[in-house]
Amino acid sequence: MVLRIRFHGRGGQGVKTASRIVGTAAFLVGYQVQDSPVYGAERRGAAVVAFTRFGEEAILERGVIEHPDLIVVGDETLLANPAAGVMVGQETATAIFLNAESAQPLVEQYALSPSTIAWDLTRRTQAIVGVASALSVGLAAATARLVGLIPEAQLLSAVRRELMELHLPEGAIAKNLDLASEVFNALPSLEFPLRDGQETPQKISSVLYEGLLRGSPSILNTGNAEQRQTGAWRLERPEVNFEQCTRCGLCFLQCPDGAITLDQNGYPIIDYDHCKGCMLCQTLCPVQAILSKQEVRSW
Amino acid sequence: MVRMLLTGNAAAAWGARLADIDYVPAFPITPQTEIIESLAAWFADGTLQGKFVTLDSEHAMMTAAGAAAATGVRTFTATSSQGLLYAMEALYTIAGWRAPLVLVNVSRGLSAPITLGPDHNDVLAARDTGFVQIHAETCQEVLDSILMAFHIAEDSRVWAPVLVNLDGFYLSFTRESVDIPDEAAVRSFLPAYQPKHPVFRASQPMAQGVAVLDSSIYSYFRYQLHRAVENAGPVHAEVSARFQAQFGRPYGAIETYDTDDAETLLVMAGSFATKGKAAVRHWRRQGKRVGLVRLRLIRPLPVRELTEVLSGRRAVAVLDQSLSPGLGGILYHEIAAALAASPQRPQVLRSFIGGLGGKDISQAEFDYLLEELETVKATPYFGQPELLFTERDRARVRQQLALAGKSPEGG
Repeated sequence: MVLRIRFHGRGGQGVKTASRIVGTAAFLVGYQVQDSPVYGAERRGAAVVAFTRFGEEAILERGVIEHPDLIVVGDETLLANPAAGVMVGQETATAIFLNAESAQPLVEQYALSPSTIAWDLTRRTQAIVGVASALSVGLAAATARLVGLIPEAQLLSAVRRELMELHLPEGAIAKNLDLASEVFNALPSLEFPLRDGQETPQKISSVLYEGLLRGSPSILNTGNAEQRQTGAWRLERPEVNFEQCTRCGLCFLQCPDGAITLDQNGYPIIDYDHCKGCMLCQTLCPVQAILSKQEVRSW
Repeated sequence: MVRMLLTGNAAAAWGARLADIDYVPAFPITPQTEIIESLAAWFADGTLQGKFVTLDSEHAMMTAAGAAAATGVRTFTATSSQGLLYAMEALYTIAGWRAPLVLVNVSRGLSAPITLGPDHNDVLAARDTGFVQIHAETCQEVLDSILMAFHIAEDSRVWAPVLVNLDGFYLSFTRESVDIPDEAAVRSFLPAYQPKHPVFRASQPMAQGVAVLDSSIYSYFRYQLHRAVENAGPVHAEVSARFQAQFGRPYGAIETYDTDDAETLLVMAGSFATKGKAAVRHWRRQGKRVGLVRLRLIRPLPVRELTEVLSGRRAVAVLDQSLSPGLGGILYHEIAAALAASPQRPQVLRSFIGGLGGKDISQAEFDYLLEELETVKATPYFGQPELLFTERDRARVRQQLALAGKSPEGG
């Protein structure tokens, strides 16, 4: 029997490290362990997912976890992005952990399982570690406590090992150890029934020759890159102060993603479905008419 | 029709010329260079219209070939050995694009140690790329296969690149009598290339060879390529029938030589099959019921034809001009797998390795092979592959090792 944990966050929030800390801690306790992240073409701010499996017996599973026992969400803004897949398999999960000030509004808004626990990791991480987005240790500590199978000592050893591997200075590691203890002791342990792996039933489909048009990796429709909403990667949001804007058009010309157009009066319109929040426009604006608004709390 | 003495390389160039190719990206390598030299001369004097471009490597050359084919022009290129391997990444890539071009490989053994003589390790390294693969035995077959190859590549059931292989030196530099068909006859067999699918054109935006990060769709496209190459089997048979009707020369996926009543068969590919045929003739004169099967189509592997011709025989030897270290002859294992489902599979299927780096295969080696088949006592399947090697070869090795300052055997 295996316990399966799936971690969600944005590139830069330490989701991969969180999965490794939990993996190392379980390993130090003596469990069989597997942990792995999924990333590749993403960048900072894009949705990242990582997995940890552990149990008494050999783990005869690999790859993504579709039916986790525990879903750990580092950034609640991902709930609004179906492509992030945070809710996949939540109906069979024992619990969901949200880094958020309060669970209730999110449970209602996204129809989350009632066994959703929220704790404001961002605030405590900012206070203790000094970087709001450095969520890895908090997420790992919350996980270790919730699953109830990892004692604090092994958690702290794992935090130290993993952060040393990332070459964090001793001072930063000490602060993270304080954070780990605080989170660990603030949360309850839950009962996780250990289950066999589940799979959504599927039927086999045979693949026959379908001709060149369908069978070659070519794209005939133009303009469909628009459907990839890279705005979901944004951590900061540029906003135009129209009272100050001189309509010079520099932001329109220089936007690397073509996400700025000009209205009929020559004022910039930002396409937030595709603006990745690089903030180049803010840097370029000669009259500081573009403001930055933080969109992701944990940053 | 004109009859001329042509080298294998000249026959390859003539095949490309008669196919009325539009674009040739080129890079020289022994023993292939004569092909692109001939084509360069014809482009220069106006015999061929279109574009001949020298590239800076085989990798660039294959990529240019694939890109040109993606614009809907008839594309031909040629390489050999290390060049084919240097282009390996591009071979997989352009097959994945489904670029219907023709590539000639002039077989040459792979480094190290570096050599110039032929064997099939180079071309068989490309067997999983998604190229259809045809191996020629004669200079005539080189020319004919190139005409057929364009037909197969451009057939809407295939749309995949085709590789035509000829052996270095034994064909590439060897002149033989070759029928050069009339241009009008070739045009009727292989009309000018008219792509029926969208290709890169000005004002016709499209993307080809896109990144696919979803594993379901990656699997789908790779399997489509498998289906396409699989379709090249029946398409090859159709194209062969048309070719024979027009030019009188038959080409099966396999060629059989004295197989009808044979109890023992020898399987070979490429120009050395001519030597195998001579051995069979020699044995037939001694009253032995022996025949030869030549593999012409290697991708798709003609499993049905192989099973039919090899089943019910007492003993079969596969003489590979290739070696997969730690496994043995490459074609041996493919043929053994093809026969696994046949209840009448031969009792004995032996693996021999010969002609590596172009080493000649003497009658003595063929005789040894036959004797082994007739008196076989050891494991009938998947035994040790046996290297055909003579006392004379051994003496040469001894002499060269002494020159290199190596102590005598046992030292």
